[in-house]
Amino acid sequence: MTTEVLPPLPLVNELTAPFWEGASKGQLVIQHCNSCGHFQHAPEPVCSACLSFDLGSAAVSGKGTVYTFCIPTQAFHPWFEDRLPFVLAVVELDDQPGLKMITNVIDVNPDDVKVGDRVEVTFQPLAEGFVLPVFRPVAQ
Amino acid sequence: MAKKNRVAIVGVGYSDVSRGTGYTLDKLTAQASVAAMDDAGIKPTDIDGVVVHSFPHQFVSSTHTAAMLGIPDLAFYSGNVDGAAYSVAAMHAIAAIASGSAETVLTIRTVHKDGAAGGGGPVGKHIAGNQQLSQPYGSFAGSHWAGMYMQRHMAMYGSTEEDFGTFAIAQRKFAVANPTESFFHEELTMEDYLNSRYIAKPLHLFDCDYPVDSSSALIFTTEERARDMKQKPVFFDSWANGTTKEADFSLVGDMTHSSPWMASKRMWSRTSLKPSDVDTAGLYDGFSFIAMQWFEALGFCGEGESGAFVRSGATTATGSLPTNTDGGACNVGRRHGANFFIEVTRQLRGTAGERALPKKPEVGVVSNAVGGFAACALLTAE
Repeated sequence: MTTEVLPPLPLVNELTAPFWEGASKGQLVIQHCNSCGHFQHAPEPVCSACLSFDLGSAAVSGKGTVYTFCIPTQAFHPWFEDRLPFVLAVVELDDQPGLKMITNVIDVNPDDVKVGDRVEVTFQPLAEGFVLPVFRPVAQ
Repeated sequence: MAKKNRVAIVGVGYSDVSRGTGYTLDKLTAQASVAAMDDAGIKPTDIDGVVVHSFPHQFVSSTHTAAMLGIPDLAFYSGNVDGAAYSVAAMHAIAAIASGSAETVLTIRTVHKDGAAGGGGPVGKHIAGNQQLSQPYGSFAGSHWAGMYMQRHMAMYGSTEEDFGTFAIAQRKFAVANPTESFFHEELTMEDYLNSRYIAKPLHLFDCDYPVDSSSALIFTTEERARDMKQKPVFFDSWANGTTKEADFSLVGDMTHSSPWMASKRMWSRTSLKPSDVDTAGLYDGFSFIAMQWFEALGFCGEGESGAFVRSGATTATGSLPTNTDGGACNVGRRHGANFFIEVTRQLRGTAGERALPKKPEVGVVSNAVGGFAACALLTAE
């Protein structure tokens, strides 16, 4: 008997819905304050910059820089067992200083990734219709 | 009217510690508490405060702990699941005693090996909350953010895997001299370190603390009461928490200047002591890079220079800052910060036995955690 191993999938909520809906349309969508224009990720019920509760979301450029990364070589979830090694990264987005997200960098030999590399968003199907925004090196 | 009391450590104790005790969290907690009371020479009726820090999924109640130990009435208690592990219990107890809310407080950190590091996500379930924005990328464990903190330091300052290995080797030397508590009895070579498998490159297996079942307990009281107790008291000179604006460890604004910098700055601002006055250190080593960040944050070396500092031999028994003289959590097992408070206390009061440092220390520093939250404290022998 074999059971299909699914990736970790989101239990979408009010705050995360724009991110996942955006990804399914090929857009990187980040929470955005309607009052002061501050982006924040991960999303929260209140804007940490101005304390407004009037929060929306907006598509961002999808361009950024590798702030840091590591190369997991041990799976902590069965989905990743035959996907090792991969690049787990924090990417700082161009759209606001310090706006960062946890992500993967794909389409690259993991050992060739460097802090400071320029990257751009791309989209990877997960399962059950979910799409994951990930990054790839910007062509030099 | 509130009063301000000087706070002393008067008792320390551990439970049985192993890879699998088979004991419940309550039994481990009771063992460590009884050991600390024996060390202090006091009875449950002498205690009027209990503070426990545990994980949400391994919760240990402070009031139940008191009941289990026959402590009749608590003037102060708290059961914490948030923040910088054992140091949270210590900070609460110090605040309670300094303010006069309680006189004699039992502080505890209990941890079961399995699941203690948040290893792995649930399989076949959808991920609630903001973890749905990290787990689909394969970010599950402390080793993941730890590898990323190391990488950032290496990129910013040119530090190398060998730098972190030098620290692992130095504290293993202390572990070898602590055979009753250490799980490792042979010195580590750089070859051993570099050949140990990666968990999340550049993070090696030997950068990680050693998962065990453990409970650790310390008893704090006022200076006045401490003077009449069995052990020579050790005093808190200064103490501080620090946090970053971002709670998520992977998303902190500056990984090479995370919460240890905030806590250190606050701690030094409240004392006349200086880094050059410190004779020994117990710096959290949940991952070896954490102790390295503390060397820099506490001002024992320049920014980015922790590798050179450790290579200089400063952290060895005969160096300027013998560090983690029990062997650290990488060797004595995961105590989530408590072992540093216990070992520095033993060194300062002169009960470290054969591990007593060649030059008797008068001032020690202890620390816990990194990233989103951290704490540190200065301890003095008088």
